[in-house]
Amino acid sequence: MKINKLFTLILVLGAIIFTSCSDDNTPDLPKGDYDKGILISGEGSGSTGSISYVSNDLTTNENLIYKKVNNSELGTFLQSIAFDDDSAYIIVDNQNTITAVDRYSFTKKGEITSNLETPRYMVVSNDKGYVTNWGTTEGFVAVFDMNSYSFIKKITISTGPERILEKNGKLYVSHKGGNGSNNVISVIDILTDDVQEIIVNDKPDEMFFNNSGNLVVLSEGKAAWTKDETLASISKIDLNDNSVTKMEFKDGEHPSLMVFDNNIIYYNLGSKVYKMNTSETSLSSIEFLTIELFTTGYSEFYGMEVKDNKLYALSTRFSDLSELKVFNLIDNSEIKTIEAPIGASKIYFNN
Amino acid sequence: MKKYTLFTIFFTVTLFSFAQEKSKMSVLEEVIVLADKKLVKNSNGYKIHRLSDSVITRNIKSFSSLLRFNSPIYLREYGAGGTSTASFRGTSASNTAVIWNGININSVNNGQTGFNSLTVNLVDAIDVRSGGGSIEYGSGAIGGTVHLNDYLNFKPKETIKHQVVANAGSFSTYNSLYKFNLSNEKLSLKFGISYNESENNYKLLGTKLKNANGAYDNLSLNVGFAYKFSNKSQLKFYSTNYSGKRSLSGELPNPRSANDKYKDFNNRNLVIYNYKKEILNHELKLAFLTQEYQYFDNKNVEDYSFGKSKRYLINYTLGYKIPSIKAKVTSYSEYETIFGKTDMIQEKNRKQFSQSIIYHQNIYNKVFFDAKIRKDFNSDYNVPYSFAFGLKANTFKNFNVRLNSSKNYRVPTYNDLYWPGQGNLNLVAETAMQGELGIGFKNSKIKADLGVFYISAKNKIVWTPNGNPDKPGVWSPINLSNVNNKGVEFVFSYSNNFDKNFVDFNFNYSYTEAKNKRTDTFLIFVPKHLLNGNLSYSYKRFGLFFQQVFTGMTYTTESNSKDFVIPHFFVSNIGGDFKILKQHQKQLSIGFKVNNVFNKLYITQPRRPMPNRNFNININYKF
Repeated sequence: MKINKLFTLILVLGAIIFTSCSDDNTPDLPKGDYDKGILISGEGSGSTGSISYVSNDLTTNENLIYKKVNNSELGTFLQSIAFDDDSAYIIVDNQNTITAVDRYSFTKKGEITSNLETPRYMVVSNDKGYVTNWGTTEGFVAVFDMNSYSFIKKITISTGPERILEKNGKLYVSHKGGNGSNNVISVIDILTDDVQEIIVNDKPDEMFFNNSGNLVVLSEGKAAWTKDETLASISKIDLNDNSVTKMEFKDGEHPSLMVFDNNIIYYNLGSKVYKMNTSETSLSSIEFLTIELFTTGYSEFYGMEVKDNKLYALSTRFSDLSELKVFNLIDNSEIKTIEAPIGASKIYFNN
Repeated sequence: MKKYTLFTIFFTVTLFSFAQEKSKMSVLEEVIVLADKKLVKNSNGYKIHRLSDSVITRNIKSFSSLLRFNSPIYLREYGAGGTSTASFRGTSASNTAVIWNGININSVNNGQTGFNSLTVNLVDAIDVRSGGGSIEYGSGAIGGTVHLNDYLNFKPKETIKHQVVANAGSFSTYNSLYKFNLSNEKLSLKFGISYNESENNYKLLGTKLKNANGAYDNLSLNVGFAYKFSNKSQLKFYSTNYSGKRSLSGELPNPRSANDKYKDFNNRNLVIYNYKKEILNHELKLAFLTQEYQYFDNKNVEDYSFGKSKRYLINYTLGYKIPSIKAKVTSYSEYETIFGKTDMIQEKNRKQFSQSIIYHQNIYNKVFFDAKIRKDFNSDYNVPYSFAFGLKANTFKNFNVRLNSSKNYRVPTYNDLYWPGQGNLNLVAETAMQGELGIGFKNSKIKADLGVFYISAKNKIVWTPNGNPDKPGVWSPINLSNVNNKGVEFVFSYSNNFDKNFVDFNFNYSYTEAKNKRTDTFLIFVPKHLLNGNLSYSYKRFGLFFQQVFTGMTYTTESNSKDFVIPHFFVSNIGGDFKILKQHQKQLSIGFKVNNVFNKLYITQPRRPMPNRNFNININYKF
């Protein structure tokens, strides 16, 4: 399925030239060209982690795009994908591997297979890749030169680091705690490697910067079955003085997903979605959407994204292909259900 | 992959067992003592396939490949030497019970036996019985049972025998064993020790990489002892110890990323005393078994998770003969107490009492049948009644007809019930109804059997992400699926002697359809077609053999997506040997084997190629 590069180039140029003057409702995207669409990564389980492509207009979709282009599997468990200008970096934690591909053709460009120990997320800034790793005994950020894929250094941080964001020369890492639990946000100065820690509620995971420049963090809290249940929260961190304002959830409520679009925070409780304006100081209590899952018991609401008044939700199965459900946020109606990878977990807009 | 040692009697299975049968008949004075009489006596209507010690030493390197090339069982291996699970007639890994001298040894923690965490080099014979056997062997005997049997024998003249087998092969693989055997009229003593190790760093075909983190070594010791007080009473003792260490190899694309390690220890002891009179027959069994595994997430760190269990078992069997109608009624009463724990589960004690009654009758040496019933009383949950019926009828000439039907069960494991936050205390036992009908043919050269089977299993325990509605996103086990398996099995063997040219051929073919009733799709990891065959030829001191296996495509997703399948494969091995010494008292032979002779890429688990072509040589000395 490898596509001749020249052919691809011609198609891409053609697409660019013609998109402007085409109001054709069925853009016939050539296979192997994954521009202008949605990428869904699946963790896999017994089956390989994989990536599916869905066109922006939801008319075409293709599973296993990496395998089809490169004729090899990524392995389990595909945790996340990071992007820079023209590359996508696929992070497979069980394989201690980051595979670099051209983000539009998905042709493999290289890989990083050493100095990684259960890598989770990466952010690329100034041609350097910063990867969070659970490590064996302590968490760390591994730093790579993304031009040569060579290892530069390791910055030791607290246990179970997860998401990583970069802003104004600083890296922000949420520490969900790996197989256990943690309650720290690390702030790393890129120049000095100096690490500061901010305490939030247990199991912080999703983070984003809101329009006022605050860091918003979702802490899931420890579940009841751990026999040490703690409260979940959404915290806002003022980056000037690292002060934390938190909105705590009720006892027994453990949100696991949070996304941000257009100044609105969306989060879930089970398969119900709630939304609130980022300026609000208390949690919304009105669910506005329920994600109907496959069949009760077989799948899980495991991933979410919002863009241009559409909410994308993943009804995920680990033993089989999952489903992407797309909702229109103007009237909360379901627009479409589309196949998604095994163990579907993350949604990225490849534009 | 596997290595084999050489075998003195270079015949294959069947021939060997023919020979054995003949010698048993003609040399009356030798008495073979078995620990597990049920297998022989209560299997009317069931198909039993015996792997003799010569076949076992041919595939000495791994239990998995031994079964892959010689039985109708499908084995999934996480790379050669890695975790290995069995599927019998399309049932799940916990539905094949492994029986050691009559005792079910599946783990209480996960309900399975890892087929690479057992060495069978020291076992005298392995019997593979197809079909359910919960009456005799309890939980998990649904698809079939694999029996590891030790033989002890009494001989009129005191004899002492030694056997040494040494084997070296590709990937720094070494297997060695020593067996000692002393027999006289009253006493039989057996001792065996086996050590195996391998770097296991085979080339991963289709890539530039090698199997990484796959090294293993293990040591086992077996002792057997039988003493005859009189013709009426005997005392027997069996003990086996195993200690194994394995690194768990990585998968593609980056096998070098693996660094986990697994250790396991097994100790099994069994004492049997029996007292036999004309009409009544008593037998008392006591068994003590321990199992322990340690899993190291990172072999460079001393931190591990573990599972341990201790089992005490007492069994009293009373047999009552009714000579006037050639019938026998046997009662089996068994009490078992198990203590199991893992690093996540506090020690739990499970107690079980079971009572079975088996009625056997022989009608004019034409029809033999067994009717069986069993009830268990378990401290953890209710176990349904099991029952079984088996019949064999010798019809005209060399044909016979066999049929059996049974209800069997598999109880929830400790992990299913107690795993913190995930275990489900409301689980009930899986149950399976099955029936089988077969036609057999046997003469001095040919043995054949054609059978059809049907299994209907319900309440299969499945771990799902939303098993418990109160814990969204938390994986837990529920009694979920109902499954129907049906299939056809054909076994054929032929042996003949043309003026010193000895030929022996045997082959197994099975066609299996296993479907989930709810989704009406095929179960994952169940190949429709399984075929294996062995052909041996020998002339005077030379022997050659060829082994072939074909495994059909298997699905790996519930929806049977064509994008996620394990392709079918053909794999062949060849081997041969030369007998340097061929005396009655001393036999010495050297042999060679080439595994995967055509260097085929094959997998039983995604992204885990099995070994490329590899070689080994061996020496087998009996004196």
